[in-house]
Formats: sequence, C-alpha cells, structure tokens
Amino acid sequence: MNYLDLSIRELHEALLAKKVTPLELTEEALKRAHENKDNAFEFIDDEGAIAFAKTLTEPEENNPLWGIPYVAKDNFSTKGIPTTASSDILKGYVPIYDATVIEKLSQAKAILIGKTTLDELAMGGSGTTGHLGKTYNPYDPEHKRQIGGSSCGSAVSVAAGIVPFALGSDTGDSVRKPASYGGLVGFKPTWGRISRYGLFPFAPSLDHVAYFTRDVYSSAVLLDVLAGRDNHDSTSSNRPIECYEEDLDKPVAGWKVAVIKQILDSISNEEIKNHFIHSIECLKEAGITVDFVDFDNKLLESLYATYMVISCAEATSNDANLDGIKFGPFKEGKTYQEVMFNARNEGFSELIKRRFVIGSYCLMSENQEELFLRAQRNRAKIVEKTNAILKDYDFIYVPAAPSVAPSFDSASDRLSDEYLIADNHLALGNFAGLPSITLPLFLENGLPVGINFMGRAFEEKKLFQMANAFEKLSGLKDLSVNNKKEGNL
Amino acid sequence: MNFEAIIGIEIHVQQKTKSKMFSAAPNGFSRDPNTQIAPLDMAYPGTMPVVNKQAVINAIRVANALHMEIDHTLYFDRKNYFYSDLPKGFQITQQARPIGKNGYVMVAVPGGMKKIRIERIHMEEDTCKQEHFMDYSLLDYNRAGVPLCEIVSMPDIANGTEAREYAEAIRNIVVYSGTSDGKMEEGSMRCDTNVSIRPYGQKAFGTKVEVKNINSFKNVELAIDYEIKRQSQLLLQGKKIQQETRRWDEASGRTVLMRVKTDAVDYKYFCEPNITPIHMSDEFIQKAIETCPELYDSKKERYLKMGLSETDVEVILANPKTAAYFEEGVPFVQNAKNLANFLIVEINSYLNKNGITIQELELSPKTLGEIVTMQEKGGLSHKQCVDILNKVLEEGVSPEEAKKDLKIVAQVSDTDTILKFVKEALDNNPQSIADFKAGNQRVLGFLVGQVMKASHGKVNPAEVSRLLREELEKR
Repeated sequence: MNYLDLSIRELHEALLAKKVTPLELTEEALKRAHENKDNAFEFIDDEGAIAFAKTLTEPEENNPLWGIPYVAKDNFSTKGIPTTASSDILKGYVPIYDATVIEKLSQAKAILIGKTTLDELAMGGSGTTGHLGKTYNPYDPEHKRQIGGSSCGSAVSVAAGIVPFALGSDTGDSVRKPASYGGLVGFKPTWGRISRYGLFPFAPSLDHVAYFTRDVYSSAVLLDVLAGRDNHDSTSSNRPIECYEEDLDKPVAGWKVAVIKQILDSISNEEIKNHFIHSIECLKEAGITVDFVDFDNKLLESLYATYMVISCAEATSNDANLDGIKFGPFKEGKTYQEVMFNARNEGFSELIKRRFVIGSYCLMSENQEELFLRAQRNRAKIVEKTNAILKDYDFIYVPAAPSVAPSFDSASDRLSDEYLIADNHLALGNFAGLPSITLPLFLENGLPVGINFMGRAFEEKKLFQMANAFEKLSGLKDLSVNNKKEGNL
Repeated sequence: MNFEAIIGIEIHVQQKTKSKMFSAAPNGFSRDPNTQIAPLDMAYPGTMPVVNKQAVINAIRVANALHMEIDHTLYFDRKNYFYSDLPKGFQITQQARPIGKNGYVMVAVPGGMKKIRIERIHMEEDTCKQEHFMDYSLLDYNRAGVPLCEIVSMPDIANGTEAREYAEAIRNIVVYSGTSDGKMEEGSMRCDTNVSIRPYGQKAFGTKVEVKNINSFKNVELAIDYEIKRQSQLLLQGKKIQQETRRWDEASGRTVLMRVKTDAVDYKYFCEPNITPIHMSDEFIQKAIETCPELYDSKKERYLKMGLSETDVEVILANPKTAAYFEEGVPFVQNAKNLANFLIVEINSYLNKNGITIQELELSPKTLGEIVTMQEKGGLSHKQCVDILNKVLEEGVSPEEAKKDLKIVAQVSDTDTILKFVKEALDNNPQSIADFKAGNQRVLGFLVGQVMKASHGKVNPAEVSRLLREELEKR
C-alpha cells in the first residue's frame, strides 16, 4: 500500500500532517502512470504536474483536494494540454481554454497529471475504439478483459491506484458501467448540477460530467467542488449547492428502495443475482424497505434503440465542427466540400461514421417523425415511468451490469433482454437526468461486479448517504488492484 | 397579357448588441479580422451557447412594433449543414417556435396605406465572413455569432415601390428601437426577395425566383421591377420561368443567375439541446416593450405637430443621430421649424462638405439653438445667422464672439424708428412718390435702398417694405 491507494480523506490528513507532500504524491502518481500497461493514457503531463505540485507548499486545512493528483478523460478541454478525445480527427489539437471542472479543480489545487483514453469521442462502451486501441482491465493481468467505456482510461487510473479520483463523462453509462467492471464508485449527478462547459459533447441532452473514486466520501466531497451554476453553461442549475458529505453517516432506516423486477429477471448470471438478493436482505436488516416494482418490458427493451437514435442524432451535429478547416487535419481539396470530406473521412473511424450516418438518417425530414421524434416521445415515456417509481420510493436499486468485465472476444446477443435491458438500463439515469451511483457489490473470481442506486433529481446528498450505508455493508471501500478485498455481500 | 406580381421579403438585420448572440465576444464592426471572437465563435470543442438577453429584448421590441404575437417561451433549434463560413456545422436559429408571429406593418402606397402581413420574426446567429482569392480563401470570424433578427413577410407586396417602402418601414423600426444600424450598404440589413408573377385572375402561384445581394433600398425597388419585367417577357415569349436564385448586379442594373434551385436542402432541424426552453414572464416582456426607445412613427407625428413639414421630418428622421441632435436642440429655440431649417440646410451641407457625420460635429445642439434664437429674438436676419454659424463652425468661437467679429448688429424692427426713416426717405424723394402713383412699382426698391442707406442697414428690410407701401398709400 501506498498513499495513492488511500481515499481523498486519508490523503488529505496525511498532507496536512506533512507525512507526504504534493510533489511526492505527484511524482509517485506519474511513475505509476508511466508503469501502467493498460493503455490508459493519451497524455501524461509530467512537466505541468510537477511544476504545479512544487508551488503547493502550505497545506490548506479546509480544502480537501489540496495537493491531490487526478486524471481527466481526454474529452475535457485543457488549456495548453493536447486533447484528442481519442480520435485522429483531433490529433495535435491543443485547446485554448479550460473546461469549468478543470478550472475548479485547478483552483482547489488538485493536480492534473494526465489525460486518459476513451472510446473515440466517448461513443462506445467497451473501451476498445479509441485511436490508441484497446484499454485493458487492470484486474486481468493477461489483458483479456475490458474495463468498459467510454471512460476506460479514467477507470483504469483509479482502479490501478494511479490516482484517487478521475474525471469522466457519462452519456449512457460511460462512468457507471466501467465502475462496475473496475470495482469503483462511479457517480453522475443530476443533469445541470455540474457544468458541462469544456466537455466535448457527444449528446448534450444526455451528457453528464461524472467521475470515479474508490469510496463514497471522496465522491461526495468532489461534488462540493464541482457542482454549481456556471454562466458558460446555461443548462447548469441555479440551485444552491450543498455540503454533500455532511449527512453521510446519518441513519438510513425507514427509506424505501425499489428494485425493478424486469431488470433483475433479464440477468442470467445466477451468482450475481444471488449476491444481489443477499444484499437486499442486508438492506432490509438495516431497516430499509425494499420492494420489487414493475417496469414495462417493452419500454425497457426500447432503451437501447431510443438511446442510439437520440445520441447519434445529436452527435452528428455536435461533431460537425470537426471539418478540417478549424479542427482536424487539413487535407487539400478543390472545393470546401472536398476539404471537409477528406478530413472527416480520414479523421473518424468507421464506427464513428456509422453513428453519424445513423444520426443523419434519423434527422432527415422524411424520417424525423418516425425515428428522431418518436425516440424523443419514447424517452418522455421512459422518464415518466422512472419518475413515477421515484415518487413512491427514495431510490431505484439494481445490478449495474449483468456480468463481470467481459473479455474482448465475447459476443453478446444484441437482441436478448440480457443485452437490451440488463446491459443498457443505466441509461435511465441519462434519459431522466437523475443522480446515479455505482458501487462494488462483490468479486466473482477476483473480478468486481457493481450495483447502482439512482435517486430523485437534485437529491445527491441523500443518494450519497444511502451509498455510504451500502459501502459499510459491502465492506468494499478503497478497493483497488493494490488493495484487493473480500466483501461482506 | 397583364401579370400580377407576388413578392415576399426575408430581411436579416444585424443587431448592434454589445456582445454576440451566444458568446461574450464583443459585437464590433470593422475592426481587424479575427479579433472580436470567443472560443464559441470558432466552435472550439466543448463550448456552449448562452443566449444574449439584450438580443431577446430587441427582438421583443421589434416584434411588438410589428404587431406580432410574442411567444413567452424561447426555443432554439439547430439548422445543420456544412459550409465553410459556418463554424459549428450548424446555425442556432428558431425554426419551430419563432419569438414573434402573425404581425403586420403599414406602408404608404399611392392613394393611402397598405397592410403588409408579416409571418414571423426569429433570432439567429450570423456566419463568418469569407474572402475568396485566386487559390485560397480567408475566414474572418468577427461576424460569426453576431445576433440576427430575421423578419419574414407574407407575399403581400405587389411591386418594387411597395417593396422599398416595406423595407424602409422595417428599417425605421429596427433603427429606432435601437436594434440595428439598418444599413443595407454595410450589410447590417439584408433583403432577400422572392418574386413570382401570374396572369391576373389566375389562382395558382407562378414559379418563385429568389433575388439576393441587394445593397440599397433604391436597389430593392429596381431589382424587383427588373425581375417582374424579366419574368413577364419570358412568359410573353412562351418560355418557362425556372426556380432559381439570382443576384442583383448593380453595375448593369440587372438580376443575374446565381444557381438553379434543385431539391430543397434538408437542414435536419432539431431542438438545440444546450439551451433549455427559457420562460419569459409577462413583466419581462412588458418591460422590454415599455422601455423601447421612441419609434419612427411616433417621432414623425410629434415633429409634424411642432410645425415641421412632412419632407423636413423625413429628412431629419432619415438618420436617428440627426433626430437625436434635433431633439436636443429643440428646448433652446422658440420654433422648432427654424432649428430644422438650419439643420437640414446649413448643417447638412457643412457635414457633406467636410465628409463628417453628425456625431463628429463639434457644434452642440445647444449652441446651434442659440444661433437660431439670434434670428428668432435677437433681431438678426437669417443670412446674418448663417454667417455667424459658419464662423462658429470654422473657428470654434462662440456665437457671441462670431457676431462681434463679424460686426453684425441687430436689425431694428421697431415700427416707430423705421417709420421715421421711411418718412424721411419719402420726403426727400417726391418724384418717386409720383412715379409710384403712376404705376411704377420699381421705385419701391429704390426707396427701400434709401432707407437702408440712411439707417446703415440696421432696419429690417421686410418691415421697411411693408411700411413704405402703407405710407405711399397714404400720400
């Protein structure tokens, strides 16, 4: 064990006591980053991180992030630091401004040590489609398993103990799913709670700034810093922010939790199911009411299609700025169309082009009604149903994924309920913009599996309180490849 | 065969807000290329649009002046297409829910006023400016993101004159509401016109031709009248009109084919996800309307009541800065008409001669008012006041100093004093009286001259003339 395997709270105490300095922490984090073999990094900022760490000499008692190294997914705009979104189209692009979250962390004196790999432009869930190739799950030294995506490099960085927290983005489940495969706490807040200014958009109506930690306290403390109104993002909420960690240890007895029956039923892995059901018993013992509720199966089966239509449609428009004129490789052409065509043809991978074609097709005037607008209406139905459940229950509680981290060569039946529902239900939180947190449940043959709690809009504080209670039950706080544990559940 | 023309106009006005439609970059005109820009204007990845409140207020004011229904919720859409002048690859506009719809404006036509209905007004953003050279093009993003209002008329316009009147009416509203400079010559107002013709009595519309690149109000009229003539001749020759976009070529006074329209472009509109619908309270809208600067029509009415002629009013209101100057000067004169005369004749010719604008004029409205008052109450003639004004303008001295330097003395208008000179002149020139009685009117001029000479030019010649006639009658 090393300081970097500790949580933000313990690290902060060590820094205050001057047992370790920001510079020592940074050097160790950089060393671990360079040594890591999981293809987690687009760019490691040795120079910038060391220079910043050297300026941090006097610990700040009331600043829990002071001197703590972190990484950010390579789709956050970082001034002066190359940012590619793991796409060739942005090769060589150096942003001229910092994303709001990057700026906030910099003001809190957290130290950015690098930018992490992702599925190209954050479109994907496997962590295999970035321009640097596959990102590997650190729990599998043989490199046969995914960490999941799209925030793959950020997940690796926290699971491998390189840093105690990492920024990611979550459009469908891009933080909360890899958190499940990496034994991490993966959190996304209510849509509008954290400014998205400077996050390269995939599908803005679904996009969230999200992040990984190894414990609930760190997750709550981070929201204190990252949340809040930003005049650069008019969709950011004016609601006052709260002290998200202050009620963590308060009792949760009496709360009501809904388990969506169809989601559990769609999982075939009996061991996961058994552990999950066991966890329900433990929650009940802790005084929590747990009920199974119904969610129209057809509606759940439509999640993936609805998500694809909306996200691809928005994406095709968002990435239209990458045209080889301002951004992207400039390719000669006789007309502006040729210049754009050549840049985009070479810059985007086939998978991305496929998504753009789907998105454009859905938006064409003759198809809009049948595809894009229909998907929007279906989204509204899904949101309505989700919120109806949360009217009667404080949280929705489900397994975060139907399996441990899949191997690269595993094929899933994309028409099965296991795929359509169990592998895609986390998108409920994106459709409805609700706060949602993934936590480790247990390890199956040394590979983690997570669960997910989703709460009502802007009830992050309560969600953290619930998650903290669960973390105590599971005993899987501070899990990492350097700190493997057997859980209680 | 006689044809009826059916014309609709789409007008884009650039708003003169402090910052751009969706970014905090300054909205400035004619500065160095690519200096008035924020990351959003060049579509840097991760940037997000934030709606400019003043642009919304302006749009509400224009919508209100055009008698439109105002939507209390703001919605924005993306219009998607690839073009080298379009930074984001989409334009943020208001397709589905424009801020205003179903309005009208009254325009002057021979024999009265005509109502031109207006379909919609919506807000959007401008593109960047392209400069094309032999084998390369340059892009200037200063214009990218400048707030625009697009005003779309119904096809209620029948000819070039009406079109010009309509465009001028819109110009007057956008200029006096403080929304835009409304200068077609500089591109801060652009008129795209749709012209079709059909034989009188035919119900179906003819093929629509779009005419762009019109750079003055006069040319709106000329371009449309040319286009009507062109289309009429085609039809009379038994030819077909094709659906196309033409541009006005000022040099040749003709419209020239730009491109034939094929199928309409599919802009794949969808709701802008980075701007959630914005509800505007009744109070907000009401306040925007109530605080709107006085509009053209209201000023016109007021100036007419001050005694100005219709022509004078139009000349003054042609430039809002002139109107502002005029209004500042009015409190310092007895009769606004006298001020208007000086402004329209002397000041305008001075501005023209020196190639400056009224904003650059150093003479304050108050000082001009003082000079006008010298004519009104100080007993100086118009000519004398013009001399004083010119000296003040040239040398920057005060009117009193100018008067002193020019050795100008007040005319005597006092009847008794003048009468004394008149009687003296008549007494000294009995032959002239006889000639006058015999019908020789010309002696009147001679007698006036005698009076002026005797009085050293101090008396008011008009008054002298009047009193001479009276005295001659008596003798």
